[in-house]
Amino acid sequence: MDKRKYYSRLRRGLTSAFFIFTLVPTLLVSMVMLYNFRECAIEKITTSEARMAEDRNDAISQYLNQQIVLLSTLAGMYPLKIMGDQDHLDQLFKSVNERGDVVDLHVIDSAGTQLAYDGPYRSSYRGQNYKDAPWFKEAFVAGQHVSDVFMGYRNVPHVVVAVTDPLKTYLLRATINSEKFNALLLWAQTSPNGDAYIVNRHGEFQTPSLQGATSLDTVEKTLLKYHKGTATWTIGSFRYTTRWMKEGQWLLVIKSKISDTMGTFDVRRDNSLIIIAISIVIVLSLAVSLCHYMVRRLEQSDRRQADVDQQMVQVEKMAGIGRLAAGIAHEINNPLQMITNQAGWIEELLPDEDPNALKNLGEYQEAVTKIKYHVKRAGLITHRLLGFSRRMSAEKEFVSVNDLLEETVSFIENEAATHNIIIERLLDQNLPTTMTDGPQLQQVFLNLLNNCLDAVDHDGRISVNTKADNTAIFIEFSDSGPGISPEVMKQIFDPFFTTKDPGKGTGLGMSICYDIMKKLGGTIEVKNGKTGGAIFTLMLPLIKLGESG
Amino acid sequence: MALFQVLVVDDEEEFRDMTIKRLSKRDIQAEGAESGEQALERIKRNDIDVVLLDVKMPGMGGVEALRQIKQAQPLIEVVMLTGHASVESGIDGMKLGAFDYLMKPMEFESLLEKLSEAYERKRIQQDKIERAQIQRDMFLPG
Repeated sequence: MDKRKYYSRLRRGLTSAFFIFTLVPTLLVSMVMLYNFRECAIEKITTSEARMAEDRNDAISQYLNQQIVLLSTLAGMYPLKIMGDQDHLDQLFKSVNERGDVVDLHVIDSAGTQLAYDGPYRSSYRGQNYKDAPWFKEAFVAGQHVSDVFMGYRNVPHVVVAVTDPLKTYLLRATINSEKFNALLLWAQTSPNGDAYIVNRHGEFQTPSLQGATSLDTVEKTLLKYHKGTATWTIGSFRYTTRWMKEGQWLLVIKSKISDTMGTFDVRRDNSLIIIAISIVIVLSLAVSLCHYMVRRLEQSDRRQADVDQQMVQVEKMAGIGRLAAGIAHEINNPLQMITNQAGWIEELLPDEDPNALKNLGEYQEAVTKIKYHVKRAGLITHRLLGFSRRMSAEKEFVSVNDLLEETVSFIENEAATHNIIIERLLDQNLPTTMTDGPQLQQVFLNLLNNCLDAVDHDGRISVNTKADNTAIFIEFSDSGPGISPEVMKQIFDPFFTTKDPGKGTGLGMSICYDIMKKLGGTIEVKNGKTGGAIFTLMLPLIKLGESG
Repeated sequence: MALFQVLVVDDEEEFRDMTIKRLSKRDIQAEGAESGEQALERIKRNDIDVVLLDVKMPGMGGVEALRQIKQAQPLIEVVMLTGHASVESGIDGMKLGAFDYLMKPMEFESLLEKLSEAYERKRIQQDKIERAQIQRDMFLPG
């Protein structure tokens, strides 16, 4: 349970770390880039609006100049006497008015007296004197004058342009229909919520606000500060591009709603955000699966390690038991010796007795014989126990493989008989002896025989064969069990591999056989027999005294 | 007349006494010594044929005792008695000149057999020596 919590905690920790370390930089970078791109976009729009302002300024100024040039030309052509003539003016007016821009024509002398007039306001202008009008004085001084826009005849915006003749003897004044340059401003409307208009120094609209505004609000009034060239102001959600024109008399204002102009940017930004979001999702899901995978692998390897550790513990335990058994067996040998001595002594003395005097003489003799027999048995057991637990030393001696086999078979004969398993021996009588480690070889035999017993389980046959050629002795163990599947055969000599239930086998038996055979210079092989069951074949090299081995 | 003389060297009294008793019944003169040192003392009397020597004894120890016995009287045959763990010592003993070794627990019959064989070897060796001495005397009169 504890382990499971540990692993889920680990997984969560790793995943969160990944989250943070991928998300934070990604978001940071994305934010910075998007912010920069936004600034770029704004800059571009600002620049284009400024250019628009310049451009419109040029257009409007040019238009006004055209009118001034026209009037100047006329004023230059005709002196006062001719220009002051009403009929002459009528003719002039007719040709000038053809295009419809010039609404009326006025001739005023330097004293302010109207000399001639042509236009729709004839009645209101009759007998007017303009000597004191500020524009009059201004016009005469400057040589020309352009008025502010005013609402005139039929509620059409008008502008008055006045020029003097080169000798400044009279003023030629024309009222211009300013709808022309209103139209010019229409081009400057950058967006549906945007506006483009001209106001004078006092904030009075010279052209109509395209949004229908009637006056500047307080904020916008702050724009009425003279500046050179084109300026941009960001106030609230609007951007104002302003340009003073007509020598600082009029202010051209292009007003755009920032959100409108950011249209394309917003689309791109939204696309980018979507892509970023998708990438984050992909990266995060990859990160999460990676974390899961890593933790799972960790878990698996930990578990495998635990398994190995457990098996090592098992091995240690077995070794400890072995040592314990050896100690006990050793101790037992002494009393066994004493029993056999005493019983033997009794046996020796009994024949001296007179059978007639000793009623149960026969019984005593039989009993003693049995005692000796069982002590011998006990001795065999301790012998086997001690031999089994003896540490593997590299002691070599002359070994008769057949004898060793017979002895080993005797160890398991009883158990085999109990399970109704017959043990056949086909031992080559001329088998040569060889220099090898008897006890270790015996361990291999014992392991294999036990294996055969397990395979057969009951009612079957185990057979042991020996034969030899010039170089080696071959020992074959075959059983009538179910045989070994190919998958198991591949792993059968691997340490810790077992087909038994956990706890019932360490999986070390076969690998120990393999190691021992290798150490003795031989081999062990396994295959399935033709009639079913497994066959283990040991090869032991023939080593005579004096040969290195 | 005893068949031959045996010295039983073992620190376990019961084993010593039993072995002596049983050997005596078979007409083998047997005596006991409880340590290697005692054994060396006893053989000085020059009348022991075979020594039965336990390998695991406190004090001198079997292998050392064997070495010294063989040094003192090379013709004495020694049969070692080993437990399972001390088989190594038995083999060492044979390398040092012991006749053979027996593993405990053993049957009395096997012991008897081994002791007889050991004595046989001593007797043969002694005969050879006597014959050689006679031969020498024959060729070198006076």
